[in-house]
Amino acid sequence: MFIAVCEGAPMRAPNFFYKGLGFAVLKRRVIKIALPIAAAALVLSACGSDDDDDKKKDGGSSAPGNTGGGNKPTWTIGFQAGLSGENAQLGINEENGARLAVEQANAKGDLPFTLKFKTSDDEASETKSVSAAQKLIDDSNVVAVIGPAFSGPTKAASPNYAKAKLATVSPSATNPSLTNPENNFTAFLRGAPNDNAQGGGMAKYLSKKLQVKKVFVVDDKTEYGVGLSKVAKDELTKAGVQVVSDSVPKATPDYGPISTKIKNSGADAMIYAGYYQDGAPFAKKLKEAGFNGPKFSGDGTNDAQFVSLAGDAANDWFLTCPCADANVEAATKQFTEDYKKRFNTNPSTYSAESFDIANLVIDQMKSFGAEKITREAMLTKLKGASYKGLTKTFKFKQNGEFDGATTFIYQVKGGKIGYMGDIDQLVGG
Amino acid sequence: MQPDEILDYLIPGIMLGALYAVIAIGYTLVYGVLQLINFAHSEVFMVGAYSALLALTWIDPSANPTALVSVLLVAAGLAVSGTAGAATAFALEKVAYRPLRRRNAPRLAFLISAIGASYFLQNLAGKLFGRDSRALPTVFENKKVFSIFGTQVTILQLLIVCAAVLMMVGLDYLVNRTKLGSGIRAVAQDAETAGLMGVDIDKVISRTFIIGGFMGGIAGFLFGLHLQLSFTMGFLPGITAFAAAVVGGVGNIRGAMMGGMLLGIVESFSSPIFGESWRYVSAFAVLVLVLMFRPTGILGERLGRSA
Repeated sequence: MFIAVCEGAPMRAPNFFYKGLGFAVLKRRVIKIALPIAAAALVLSACGSDDDDDKKKDGGSSAPGNTGGGNKPTWTIGFQAGLSGENAQLGINEENGARLAVEQANAKGDLPFTLKFKTSDDEASETKSVSAAQKLIDDSNVVAVIGPAFSGPTKAASPNYAKAKLATVSPSATNPSLTNPENNFTAFLRGAPNDNAQGGGMAKYLSKKLQVKKVFVVDDKTEYGVGLSKVAKDELTKAGVQVVSDSVPKATPDYGPISTKIKNSGADAMIYAGYYQDGAPFAKKLKEAGFNGPKFSGDGTNDAQFVSLAGDAANDWFLTCPCADANVEAATKQFTEDYKKRFNTNPSTYSAESFDIANLVIDQMKSFGAEKITREAMLTKLKGASYKGLTKTFKFKQNGEFDGATTFIYQVKGGKIGYMGDIDQLVGG
Repeated sequence: MQPDEILDYLIPGIMLGALYAVIAIGYTLVYGVLQLINFAHSEVFMVGAYSALLALTWIDPSANPTALVSVLLVAAGLAVSGTAGAATAFALEKVAYRPLRRRNAPRLAFLISAIGASYFLQNLAGKLFGRDSRALPTVFENKKVFSIFGTQVTILQLLIVCAAVLMMVGLDYLVNRTKLGSGIRAVAQDAETAGLMGVDIDKVISRTFIIGGFMGGIAGFLFGLHLQLSFTMGFLPGITAFAAAVVGGVGNIRGAMMGGMLLGIVESFSSPIFGESWRYVSAFAVLVLVLMFRPTGILGERLGRSA
């Protein structure tokens, strides 16, 4: 009920059963017991091989001998996100983006070192995040980590990263509290404006552009959802909008009652602060309940999966994101083509940001030349970095916060997430 | 909550309760004949939903099916999910329970075996279908059918409640009026004596699993129409349905129906009264309250004696 087995591990044919065991000698009974155990062991051993997986994808071994091809040293960029389990699509978008950057950098051939990419799956779970982080911390070749993707896992793993002085640059963990100096997450850098920007953007759009009087805010009780809803509520109240709110823990079996409650509350608009997995059934029930006001959600819901799960019910939903649409923006045209070629799918939420962050990290690594890169030096370098990526310029404040606050807005139309643009420009200042 | 909103919450509550009741019956039936909680029942539920997904994706309905096509699609979904649920439960009994029963294993072994089977099925589904959620194809547009005092009733709500009521009435008839039913009751009351009287215990147990699995599978399909599918989708409804079976008196079929309905309605009303986060707290508070006053559940008698 709670354990998840690995994904994508190759199944091996159990052919040595018949060779080495000496079937005839063993009593029938022993075989009866031993066979299932052996089979189970095989399945399990086939599973525990995600490192093999990485090697295959990178086309080489990441043995800590520090010598790749030729005399170049080998360094590894780590990557942590939920790559399986709930809401995994967001993690996969980011993994692809970062992987593409690493592959392109290696292909260019001008690096003073050989670059490896190592992923660690935290299943977007707070409880699994710490061990996923440990896997990267334990590999002494890892000099920086991209991720974790979600706020909850980031909060759980950040103390360990801080202790190891291993820099993490997250493309999408946007809970404002993560950069609170009290938390001492000294190795955490954020590659996106936090939820203050998103919540503020939603509030601005609702109060100024749509001029609503009463908004119902629902969060999913996750680190991300609660943070985003708090900011949205505060900003709406400041703008003079009446706010009602409730929390619906994710994976609730019925979004019917809350939808009815929203309908009956007389709110003009609603905001859902949560991920697409639960946003989708919620959208369905809201439509059934007959709620017709504007519906808002944040980057956690901004994914094609949301539309495919919710179907018609997703239409007209506004989705904010600190991420620009790589498929539309001119700056990311080349990236989109490369991405499509490599992964056979369009880049999606945070793919381009993750690509940029990987390039930012590689850029900083290059400045070491062929010298030994230590984690601590890397962290200092990253903190002081300023890098103009395809999507935006990456700079960090003293506490690791992203320097800048642009939020973009999208709207679902006819089964597709359509790009509307920068909120500030749309609202007009 | 205003008085005129009561029906707004009662109707979804009845719908959810009907689903819980149908799943709870699966727990109760197995407990009745074997005195063990089949913790893999939540995965039977999940398998039912995924098999319906497979079948319906294979048929590939158009976006706006006509009424007749919709009826056929729902019938196909029900048939496939029911059959798959029954087959899974049957296989489960054969693989996870029967070998233990043959060896007179202690009760704890059955529990571990059930949890193992549950993990296995769950992760198998995760591997086969991916760990992200899936939605069933649109089988019908969930229109309003009629309204009671201003509260709309949708097709899906009607479908779920009707299917659940039909299954429950059918089961009640089967257990109380048929030969198989008396066999089930006999095994539940005293398996050893029933064996001596010429009841084929293995057959009865096996069929009990099939019946429970059939209902569980269908509940999975209906739940999938209502929400969405994921490889862990069985867990929460399964736990709640198990609680429902205990509230009603585990081992008692009518008790399971009652318990399921009660918990569904309580959960639904907890939203406007206490807030949505208190959903499970309210449901489990009811469980504790009932058990305080009636430790064996509301209808706390075993399958063999009553039902």
